[in-house]
Amino acid sequence: MRVRVRNLEAERINFVLENVDLPLANALRRILIADLPTMAIDIVNIQENSSVLVDEFIAHRLGMVPLISTACDRLINYNRDCVCLDHCPKCSVELDLNIKCTTNETILVTSNHLQLRSQEAQDTSGNFIDPPIGLSDDFGLPINYHLQDVHPITICKLRQGQELRINCVAKKGINKEHAKWGPTSAVGFEYDPYNKFKHTSYWYEQDEKAEWPLSANATEETPPDEGGNLPLDAEPRNFYFDVEATGALEPKDMLLMAFAELQNKLAGIVLALDQPAQQDGDMNNANLVEGMDNVDGGAGASGAQAVDDWGVSTSQGFDWQ
Amino acid sequence: MMDVDEEVDVKPKINESDDWTTPGNYHGKSLTDEIKTVEDKWQLLPAFLKTRGLVKQHIDSFNHFVDVELKNIIKANEKVTSDVDPKFYLKYTDIHVGTPERQDADSVDKSITPHEARLRDMTYSAPIRISVEYTRGKQIVRRRGIPIGRLPVMLRSNKCVLTGKDQETLARYRECPLDPGGYFVVKGTEKVILVQEQLSKNRMIIETDSKKNVQASVTSSTHERKSKSYVATKNGKIYLRHNSIADDVPIVVALKAMGVTSDREILQLVAGHEDDLKEVFYINIEEALKLGIHTEMQALEWIGARSKSARKTAGPAHQKRPVWEDAIETLASIVLAHVPVDNLNFRPKAIYVAVMVRRVLAAMVDEKMLDDRDYVGNKRLELAGQLLSLLFEDLFKKFNHDLKLNIDKVLKKPNRTTEFDAYTQLLYGGDHITSGFVRAISTGNWSLKRFKMERAGVTHVLSRLSYISALGMMTRISSQFEKTRKVSGPRALQPSQWGMLCPSDTPEGEACGLVKNLALMTHITTDVEEEPITNICYMLGVEDVALLTGTELYRRDTYIVSLNGNLIGVTRLPTRFVATFRKLRRSGYINEFVSVYINHHHNSVNISSDGGRICRPMIIVENGFSRVTTEHIKALKEGKVDFDAFLTQGLVEYLDVNEENDAYIAINENEMTMASTHLEIEPFTLLGACAGLIPYPHHNQSPRNTYQCAMGKQAIGAIAYNQLNRIDTLLYLMVYPQQPMVKTKTIELIGYDKLPAGQNAMVAVMSYSGYDIEDALILNKASLDRGFGRCQVMRKYSTMIRKYPNGTHDRLADAPVGLDGIIPKKYQALESDGIAGAGERVDTNDVIVNKQSPSNALDNSINPGQADTSTTYKNAPMSYKSPVPGYVDQVLITDTESEQTLVKALLRQTRRPELGDKFSSRHGQKGVCGLIVPQADMPFNDRGITPDVIMNPHGFPSRMTVGKMIELLSGKAGVIRGTLEYGTAFGGSKVDDMSQVLIENGYSYAGKETMTSGITGECHTFYTYLGPIYYQKLKHMVLDKMHARARGPRAVLTRQPTEGRSRDGGLRLGEMERDALLGYGAAHLVRERLMLSSDLFHVDVCNDCGTMGYNGFCPMCKSQKNISNIQIPYAAKLLFQELLAMNIYPKISLEDSV
Repeated sequence: MRVRVRNLEAERINFVLENVDLPLANALRRILIADLPTMAIDIVNIQENSSVLVDEFIAHRLGMVPLISTACDRLINYNRDCVCLDHCPKCSVELDLNIKCTTNETILVTSNHLQLRSQEAQDTSGNFIDPPIGLSDDFGLPINYHLQDVHPITICKLRQGQELRINCVAKKGINKEHAKWGPTSAVGFEYDPYNKFKHTSYWYEQDEKAEWPLSANATEETPPDEGGNLPLDAEPRNFYFDVEATGALEPKDMLLMAFAELQNKLAGIVLALDQPAQQDGDMNNANLVEGMDNVDGGAGASGAQAVDDWGVSTSQGFDWQ
Repeated sequence: MMDVDEEVDVKPKINESDDWTTPGNYHGKSLTDEIKTVEDKWQLLPAFLKTRGLVKQHIDSFNHFVDVELKNIIKANEKVTSDVDPKFYLKYTDIHVGTPERQDADSVDKSITPHEARLRDMTYSAPIRISVEYTRGKQIVRRRGIPIGRLPVMLRSNKCVLTGKDQETLARYRECPLDPGGYFVVKGTEKVILVQEQLSKNRMIIETDSKKNVQASVTSSTHERKSKSYVATKNGKIYLRHNSIADDVPIVVALKAMGVTSDREILQLVAGHEDDLKEVFYINIEEALKLGIHTEMQALEWIGARSKSARKTAGPAHQKRPVWEDAIETLASIVLAHVPVDNLNFRPKAIYVAVMVRRVLAAMVDEKMLDDRDYVGNKRLELAGQLLSLLFEDLFKKFNHDLKLNIDKVLKKPNRTTEFDAYTQLLYGGDHITSGFVRAISTGNWSLKRFKMERAGVTHVLSRLSYISALGMMTRISSQFEKTRKVSGPRALQPSQWGMLCPSDTPEGEACGLVKNLALMTHITTDVEEEPITNICYMLGVEDVALLTGTELYRRDTYIVSLNGNLIGVTRLPTRFVATFRKLRRSGYINEFVSVYINHHHNSVNISSDGGRICRPMIIVENGFSRVTTEHIKALKEGKVDFDAFLTQGLVEYLDVNEENDAYIAINENEMTMASTHLEIEPFTLLGACAGLIPYPHHNQSPRNTYQCAMGKQAIGAIAYNQLNRIDTLLYLMVYPQQPMVKTKTIELIGYDKLPAGQNAMVAVMSYSGYDIEDALILNKASLDRGFGRCQVMRKYSTMIRKYPNGTHDRLADAPVGLDGIIPKKYQALESDGIAGAGERVDTNDVIVNKQSPSNALDNSINPGQADTSTTYKNAPMSYKSPVPGYVDQVLITDTESEQTLVKALLRQTRRPELGDKFSSRHGQKGVCGLIVPQADMPFNDRGITPDVIMNPHGFPSRMTVGKMIELLSGKAGVIRGTLEYGTAFGGSKVDDMSQVLIENGYSYAGKETMTSGITGECHTFYTYLGPIYYQKLKHMVLDKMHARARGPRAVLTRQPTEGRSRDGGLRLGEMERDALLGYGAAHLVRERLMLSSDLFHVDVCNDCGTMGYNGFCPMCKSQKNISNIQIPYAAKLLFQELLAMNIYPKISLEDSV
């Protein structure tokens, strides 16, 4: 397996995943969409909202603002797993939005008006919880925060006399739960630009080549020989990814996290396969799916160990068959 | 250049024999002619709508009523005299309607806005003020500005405060600038008086009755009287028939009674010189001979003996009138009342009857001469103004009558302390007129005793479901036909409704084809004064009809000229007459809404100036050239001229349906020939406002457009700019409405792009899972997370804090505190004033307004004033009813007109789409959400685009909504190019161009893409039609419909479970379900469902007498022997008792015990 990054921008990564098979590549794609944790505003306490937009409306808009979530997979707990009583610096970020329009010019409230707030929280035994070590300074801030030449994200407009006093709690989550936790906006994924494997059949009126333009990825592959047939067992091995990020995670980090998450998930399966079907007598023929259920609960804790094990086996070229 | 090329190509194909090679020889056109295109002539349309507006017909009609008809009514009823004092009189000299005023007694600023009326449940009305002149003793007193009542004011009419206001002022009045107006605010609800469709008044209609007998009928309508007269055939003989004459009058008798005594003259007047007509008519002359009627007097005696109504007027005070005078009375003022009889000059009426007879004869000879009553030209539309004027005249007559009675009562007193002043009586009038208007408009019952008119359902509550539904309501036309009658004629699409009535917008089901909608560019006329038109006609050489004999009347080259159905004369040069008449109209000497046309079948020229005709503007074409040129349009675009300038310059004119028949209208410039008289402004205006939303409607199967017209009204979106200030019973708002990617010119004209109801969804047309069968849609979960289809539902909860006549009143209480010092959950949303605070969350059954009512509110024995301390209060809270929590959006506390305190609370829910919510595209393709799929599982294209909606391709073949496919294609091209595309009917962005855009950007020209499965990562073997389609979320949501019950309330009478969701009712196991269970043999299940789980009742039955007893005792036998306890349905017990009550003795005999 090889990853060849063709293009890396602030919010975009284009790479070729080489020498893997299709299910694995798709799993990576799905993880990029659905399983990478990020921070997003989850609880909105509204003290004052005299804008024209209703509370739920603003809460929804705030939730959709991408927050910088670098390394939140390692450093931040899921709120549900955290030791704190409600929320704490280890599982959340607090943001404030306090703004009042006093002039007769309409104010555009944007993500730039969100402000980080230091929070104090205690764990169950009454000790104060410190923020995790190693968090970047901009962690939890909206993306493009006060950047020049970049338009911030509009939240609402205020006219004279209208005011917003809002306290938000951002928590860690994944896209599966709500799309606001998604680090990607679109994941382009393509293989076999020449349709050599005949996975699809192009319908055309006169000329297939004229009517179905080739994708840009076609330059990476050799055109099929005239009339040349592929071996029957040939399978796609190269996959062209074009990942568009929301800005919550660095594209590079995102890719690394995705691989880690993939390993994590596969480790769960391996762990389940390694463990002989035990426990109840009627589960003698425990199949793979049930095995997965067994490890599901402990995946978070034992996962870290499994990653290392798994890392070894990858280099040996673990063959899924 | 293109056009020239085309012409070269096309000409030989059309007519090869035509010598088209020589210039100037093809239909008068040559190759070197300049091309006659008028660039952007559709710009006339926004100009039209700017000056006329979408609901101008309502507003014009109301204005006409207020400005003209009120004065006419006053003039017709101007004098009130007294039976007691012959010297007394009171005369109305003027009437006018003021500006809307508030009624609050102590208000300083009297002005009121419609929105305040809406919020405070008041009536938006203005005072009607009159000026009078009356005698006080020997003086004549004049007074001005006496209020006699209040008239509800139509919004945006010339009495409304909103008229002519700019956007900023409207915003200050909390009014939406896009709101069309044309409705009333009565008791806080918005009421529309729907346009009513009727057969023309005062026009002859020749038709056959059920027995194929030809008859001519005329509905005469004057201010005094409405009646219907017939000239009918029976056994080949012709009769005059009218309700006020008991028998049918043989036509010759009728004509003789009208002074045409010579048989020869009758024959001439009726049949002219046509022998075939004469032949059919002879029998009628014989009929009169048989009756022995030869003279006018004999005829009058005959009719007088049979006339009904005239008798009544001859009161006891009068001498008994000779019979023939009754006949004269009947004939002069009742039969064919609209034909004037001045000084007993019956000649015009006789000729009118003769013409009717002639048309009947012609129809007897030739069936083609029958009229079509469904023809739009024979219809008149009755609007708010006409209906209000009928109502006002009735109320005003009643007012005058009451006034006279009161005046008489005072004048009768022999000695008065002060001199009698009628002014005080005038003020006494009370609010008879006010309440009459309010009652009629708020209930919709128009009952006018004068015309024996009793019409229900005239007004409707303005539907504010969406902007389109409100707009659609303003253009709606309801027909007077019964809905139950199974006739296809009135429901069918009439060719003559082209351009006038929308061919698509009609409801399905019972009202199909009876409820219609106006097309975009129509106008409904109001009455125009007749007299100047008559004068102009005479000046143009029309000969007076009364001076002519039959032979002259019906000469082949003679055309009868009639004005609003009345014959005024003849002309021998009809074409020249009509041409001159039109020239005068185009130059503004005659009102632009007066129509004139030649009917060659009847040899007649008809001029119409009456109200209620539908007409529409068209560009005038002369000598094959449009009079509107590109320069004119340029001036229009620069704002130098407006639409009215086009009218006054004679570039554009209004044609009604009848005059359209006289015109040769080219749809496009390239279709204009030398014979063309007019050019359409834009063909898409033949559709109405609702059908105008559909992109590419001309590619759809027609019923689909009809379905969309119905569904567009249910779409959730933005309803008005003031939507957040409104407190409506139910308000659906979309969180992120978008204007459609593919719009139409109509959308821009009516402002749908500013108040849209839908979102542009990325649609993949493919099959996905099994949850998309039967039109179900698959939705992308991530799209829903991001706000697709999200909507807000606002519901009003309102209550009155009443004051009762006995001095007690309701009160608001703060939240009660429980024993533990904690406020119960139910009351936690309440603030200290006893009303839930804005922004609070409320759950099911939480109290919103904690009202308490005095327990003795209806007890009138207590005197007002002493009632405070002793009264006890019982709780009458208003609580939240919805299974899902809501938030208090706003609370309003105010006073109504009746000085009662009104509390309104608006509760809000935000809903994201869920399984079972209904969606629809703009092509009549509705479907419910069948499955919500995570983004990762969604199919995607090579750019990683996942669809928002997946639609099953089976929706296409049978529906044939090609327009939807083109919408997708244009939308996709628009998205790529960053433009909004047009799908205007008979135009819009072309598929070729759109495909070209797709190709240029690396897409397949057909809009198809290869997609990859999100589940397996494999490429789909098929290609997918993918692109944006505008989707509407419809108001039908699962949350409002979900219902289940195990146990619950029961009806009192039958003890069976209640019915319906609103009453938490049971789910009925109906007859068919019962049949199925019986057929299957599941007897115990039937027993359980129909009795045990329903209305089980244990009853003691006496085996001796067979009646029901109680407590093991039979009251019939007075014994406890032989009593059995059985189970029966309570309904059965009820039946037995009811039978007993009507003296039927149902005996129960039990099988086991026998």
